[in-house]
Amino acid sequence: MRQVPSGAALHARLIWRRNRGQIGLFVLLALLLALYAFLHPGLLSWAGIARFTQNWFPVALVAIAQTLVMLMGGIDLAIGATVGLGTVLAATLVGESALGAGLGITATVAIGVAAGGLVGTIVALFGLPAIIVTLASSFLIGGAALLVMPRPGGSMPGWLSEGLVGVHPTALLILILILVAWRVLRATPLGLSIDAAGDNPAGAFRSGVNVALARIAAYAISGGLAAFAGVYVAAQTGAGDPLIGNPLTLQSITAAVLGGVGFLGGQGTIRGAVAGSLLLAVLVNVMFFLGLPPVAQYVMQGLIIVAAMGIKRLRERAA
Amino acid sequence: MRRSILGLAAAALVAGTQLMAPATAEAAAKCIKGDRKPPFTVGWANIYSVPTWMKQTEGTITDVVEQLKKDGLVDNLVITDAEGNANNQITQIQSMIDADVDAIVVIAGSSTALNRVIEQACEKGIAVANVDSLVDTDQLTVKINTNSNEWGKQAAEFIADKLGGQGKIIIMNGPAGISVSEDRRAGATPVLEANPGLEVLTETNTAYNSAPAQEAMTSLLFQHSEIDGILSLGGALSAGAILAMDRQGRELPPMTGENYRQFLELWKEKELTAWATMQPNWLGGLGVYAAVQALNGKDIQPYVEVPLPIIDNGNIDEYLARAGDFPADGYIYSPYDLAMFDQLLGLK
Repeated sequence: MRQVPSGAALHARLIWRRNRGQIGLFVLLALLLALYAFLHPGLLSWAGIARFTQNWFPVALVAIAQTLVMLMGGIDLAIGATVGLGTVLAATLVGESALGAGLGITATVAIGVAAGGLVGTIVALFGLPAIIVTLASSFLIGGAALLVMPRPGGSMPGWLSEGLVGVHPTALLILILILVAWRVLRATPLGLSIDAAGDNPAGAFRSGVNVALARIAAYAISGGLAAFAGVYVAAQTGAGDPLIGNPLTLQSITAAVLGGVGFLGGQGTIRGAVAGSLLLAVLVNVMFFLGLPPVAQYVMQGLIIVAAMGIKRLRERAA
Repeated sequence: MRRSILGLAAAALVAGTQLMAPATAEAAAKCIKGDRKPPFTVGWANIYSVPTWMKQTEGTITDVVEQLKKDGLVDNLVITDAEGNANNQITQIQSMIDADVDAIVVIAGSSTALNRVIEQACEKGIAVANVDSLVDTDQLTVKINTNSNEWGKQAAEFIADKLGGQGKIIIMNGPAGISVSEDRRAGATPVLEANPGLEVLTETNTAYNSAPAQEAMTSLLFQHSEIDGILSLGGALSAGAILAMDRQGRELPPMTGENYRQFLELWKEKELTAWATMQPNWLGGLGVYAAVQALNGKDIQPYVEVPLPIIDNGNIDEYLARAGDFPADGYIYSPYDLAMFDQLLGLK
């Protein structure tokens, strides 16, 4: 009698399949991190790690936000604009007192969740292509940011900036918390339905998963993360800037794709995307310490991205 | 009474500590602690290296660095390119601090984003010179720029003067919401108000490139049969306007513009009555020079306003004589040397 594999065994096989393509990325990442630490030994201290993770953190957040949406087979071109909106809202709403700061941050993230949820609703219920809906919403959200603050300005409380972007690796801690929260979420029905709806929407639907709700939730969480990245950038820079997030859209997609996230949904992991964003961040620093001229920086970036993707593809073929 | 005695005591204390402070020959510039010795390492934190204007600016930076190398003042130039991303620029300036460069020259990708990292550099005694696109913080060694308001004002005065205060004009602006573009336009406003005889037919907002300006102008020409003057506020806008008007066989009225090579060549070829100024590319080189002089203990003022070099029908030939040294899609900037930099910085 053939034995039916247990649920745990099936899950382990799934996880293995998901991680297999990422080994190349993790090896490359380890090499680059070692090279960076060798070139800049100051990295290996609390303050060094703190400073490095601070600059990486916003990219990591938007990479997670982008991955959530891409896992559902979508794409979010409004992430950068949402970060910009987050910075101007934070620089306007966050008060000097602890309570004022808490309320301001909550309000900013809530607006991000609402904006993401709205976009997700349009995508999920009207069946419009995500690329069009989020392109349009990037203009709407970007315009809203410019309405709140036509020019960079506003301020953030000094203690908050010191706390989030000071000499302690607060950013790294928050990132770990977010990754833990994602694991916890995946153990809940909502998390499972996000996973399932991304992997196989038809199958999930037949199994009773509310696919539309899962999609909306993914966009809403993504919007909240992007707005929180805005809060962080505002704390990092001490002010709001409506346009500062725009380059992050492309970076978030690059990081997600480097991390093995596919364009058709279901393929990829959050931790892969975080690794992808880390690769982008380390690359900027390593190229600086190697003393490469700007032209070489462009070439190197392109080569590394192609190499990371190529290794993945070769492994997939071999498998 | 008690208050004033306390006040006096405090004042005396302050005076006392000032007297006790180590005597320095010259007041040092901001951020300078005097612990850095030549030859210095200079970092050039560029926001975006691709546009021609930026490449030319980098050219003046490397040129000034080469000159300072001969004097043993500089031994290394580190260049970064943030690819238009202010977040990258923060990271790269952070790396420059980690690598302990002695001076940082920066064109900012955001007026606010770099504040904290620049303040950090300043605290570490790194001379920071900010040119062209400025940051909000004052915790740096020197900010160097031209006055965009003055740019617009002088351009408008030229048009008002040439038209005798009477006529129909078109105003060509850079993109909306960009501070340079808004400031130049704001500078023109009082002059236009003082000359009610100047009728503004319409205004355009386009990127500072020839093609979009040409397109915008072409459609305007169909609507307006009489145009007496063109108040163009920068970049390659004027070149686009000339090409559009010329193609329709329109007479070319007095116009303003920037030192874009193609515009200057068309100006000469079509025998225009025109006026141009510039955002000199050597602001970059001047930034390097100011930072190095500050490190050398010279007192550098916190803000240096560079007077706008003017090109008119009297001196355009001098500019065109040097055209071959500049890229075809580039800007012919006024000549510079270190003696002139000393003058601008008030060092001689």
